[in-house]
Amino acid sequence: MLKLQQVSKTYGNKNIKAVDNISFEVNPGEIFGFVGPNGAGKTTTIKMMVSLLKPDTGKIFINGIDNQENILEAKKQFSYVPDNPELFEKIKGLEYLKFMADVYEVPTTERQKLIEKYLDIFEIKEAVNDPIGSYSHGMKQKLALVGALIHNPEVFILDEPMVGLDPKASFELKKIMREHCDQGKSVFFSTHVLDVAEKICDRIAIINKGKIIEVGTMDEIRAKAGSHESLENIFLELTE
Amino acid sequence: MKELINLTKLFINDSLGLSLFFYNRTNNKKEFSKQLFTLIIVPIALIPAFFFYVFFMIALYTGLKVIDQTSVFLSAGYIFISFLIIVFGIMYILSVFYFSKNTEELISLPITPRKIIISKFASILIFEYAFAALLFVPVLIIYGVGEGMGLGYAILALVVLLTLPLLPLSLETALIMLIMRSSRVKGRKDFLQIIFVFLAIALVIGVQFWFGTQVSSSAEVDFQILLNSLLTNNESLLNSIGYFFPSSFLVAWGLNRLTLMSVVWIFSLVLITTLSFGFMVFIGERFYFTSLVSGKIARKGRTLSGIERGKFLGKKGHGAMAIFSMDMRLLLRTPVYFFNNVSVVIIVPLVLLVSLSFAELSPENINGVREFYREMPMVINFMFIGFFVFFGGTSATTATTFSREGKASWLTRIVPVSASDQIIGRTASALIVQSLGILCTLIGVYFFMPLTLTTVLLTVIMGLIGSLPILLFGLFIDMNRPLLDWDNPQKAVKNNMNVMITLFIGMFYVVMLIAICGALGYFVNQWVSYAVYIIVSLIITIAFYKKINKDLEKRLLAF
Ligand SMILES: Nc1ncnc2c1ncn2[C@@H]1O[C@H](COP(=O)(O)OP(=O)(O)O)[C@@H](O)[C@H]1O
Ligand SMILES: [Mg+2]
Repeated sequence: MLKLQQVSKTYGNKNIKAVDNISFEVNPGEIFGFVGPNGAGKTTTIKMMVSLLKPDTGKIFINGIDNQENILEAKKQFSYVPDNPELFEKIKGLEYLKFMADVYEVPTTERQKLIEKYLDIFEIKEAVNDPIGSYSHGMKQKLALVGALIHNPEVFILDEPMVGLDPKASFELKKIMREHCDQGKSVFFSTHVLDVAEKICDRIAIINKGKIIEVGTMDEIRAKAGSHESLENIFLELTE
Repeated sequence: MKELINLTKLFINDSLGLSLFFYNRTNNKKEFSKQLFTLIIVPIALIPAFFFYVFFMIALYTGLKVIDQTSVFLSAGYIFISFLIIVFGIMYILSVFYFSKNTEELISLPITPRKIIISKFASILIFEYAFAALLFVPVLIIYGVGEGMGLGYAILALVVLLTLPLLPLSLETALIMLIMRSSRVKGRKDFLQIIFVFLAIALVIGVQFWFGTQVSSSAEVDFQILLNSLLTNNESLLNSIGYFFPSSFLVAWGLNRLTLMSVVWIFSLVLITTLSFGFMVFIGERFYFTSLVSGKIARKGRTLSGIERGKFLGKKGHGAMAIFSMDMRLLLRTPVYFFNNVSVVIIVPLVLLVSLSFAELSPENINGVREFYREMPMVINFMFIGFFVFFGGTSATTATTFSREGKASWLTRIVPVSASDQIIGRTASALIVQSLGILCTLIGVYFFMPLTLTTVLLTVIMGLIGSLPILLFGLFIDMNRPLLDWDNPQKAVKNNMNVMITLFIGMFYVVMLIAICGALGYFVNQWVSYAVYIIVSLIITIAFYKKINKDLEKRLLAF
């Protein structure tokens, strides 16, 4: 569903690699957690998946499509919500949603049905006629989520989604993620809190200083932790 | 004091993006060299203008000397520069005090409001000092040398220079703060900004007209006689301008001839300036922060019903249309964009029209033009075409199309919109703006001279087709070097070299094209010239379209 092969990225002409030769795969029907402390390279990796950054080396396949060869086709396979969604301040919420529905070619009846549904779930119906500039951080995030959900993508990519959401929205989002995977599609999200990943993920990858340390189910990783000192330390960093 | 200096540095750094600049020096060489290039090339480009200004001032002084009227030289310079400072100050003050986001972050820190106000003001003042020094020092030197002034003059002149930007800026800032605090302003910040800028333009145009009417009574073109008549026949002229800038009297009394009283006059100038500054701080402490907090409230729309929402979402729309409407909304709703890209096409025809009606053309003149139009329609046609293309080129709408999206451009980059839809959507919004300019011009011209249908059709079509190469060139430039890292939309269009590049190259191109086609029409046949014009434009358009279409997706990866 989502496959990374030996992907690396360095910013500017610094010597440190922000992402260092990472490879992993997300299977259909899977919620995949990408866990690591601040500055580990999570956002950088995600930006390379969603065509916001070009990897220095390596390949990324989304639903089997190389996202550097067939850029436009790859873009149709995912939807993405950044950690800090900067949206056009002068645009109204509903105008934003119409834009998203148009560019992802969502059919007329479906767009109305889905938008009503998600606006209800995230409780921002009242605000859709206001300019986004008047939204709080959480409301912006919710609007970005609705915009990302209306075209029902193969892969749903989220960067630190739980940060900034209220408990109810965060609960609803987890439910939506699960429903999404039940359709045989996948969810990929990053977090710096091990707890969150443990509760909802089928599998996780742990990243630190640009390198993948472990990939597997939580139980598999826990089992290894005893014999693996660096993993032990990471666990400490990731536990609140 | 140290805190004040640090805060001022912070604001300057913030408005210029210095930190990023120095960060790039070590960490991102490519970006750094781009910025450095801009930093060097802009001042170099302005050197000729500066010399022109100095020569003009020398000529003015010499002219005044001949008629023994050098006494007005200093106050004229002083008034002129104060006027410029006030006009440019409007946007500057608004953006530093009301449109920059850093105030919100600072409000919560334990810094006194007074310090924030003073250092914000200082961050504007520093640039205004550079500006004032550049323009006023030549004036002071020319006069000082011309009149053989000594050390005393130099010292007093320096004091005057120090008060020059401070006085008008303090009063202007206080005035803006008072207006912004009015409760009716709440949630209308954008609207107000547009009003302010229109006011500034009205001010400039108004002064020009008024000046024009004062001068036109003496029809002579001779500079010497003109000056003479300005000063003798219109004694009131300088005096009445002076009343708007009463401090100019103090300057004149203080510096024109050095007496003991000079010190008194200049000291009063310093006193007035200090009081104005104090007044500004006083007003700021009273109103600035409260109006800032209440001004944050954006105007809200009313709640929509489900049916209304459904109706708005409507049927499936086309990708190019989605890009176009987003681009158009941003253009119309962001004051700075509206101002830079849209208002030009309304203001320029309007100004032209008003000047034409003031020019008091005699019936013979008008008939002469009409006669000429009948005999050589091609010349008039190409004049119109050039004018229409000018709108396309100067608005530089496509040259900032990605830059204008700033940090929200991630959205443009992840959505699956084909390169051709991007090109069409973004070029269309530029064409719409341009068409507005064309329409305004044609309506205006209609009052003076009836145009034939052929002319209207030809000029509209060729005006639009002829600007396509420039529009696509702008898009090409902005695709290759977008300016996205800004926190104040002003930077996206004002600090953007893409506008300059597109403007210069675009204007150069169109002048060449029209010159060549005009020559063809004159020596061969006008229809041949139109055909050549259209074919050349289309070939370049298609070439750019293909190039952008091929590269855009890859470029979006690397913004
Ligand atoms: N735009 C950038 N320029 C330079 N370095 C960056 C940039 N973005 C991130 N980095 C660096 O890359 C590393 C990884 O950052 P990031 O991917 O944002 O981490 P995470 O999302 O896991 O917190 C960090 O060391 C950070 O300093
Ligand atoms: Mg991150």
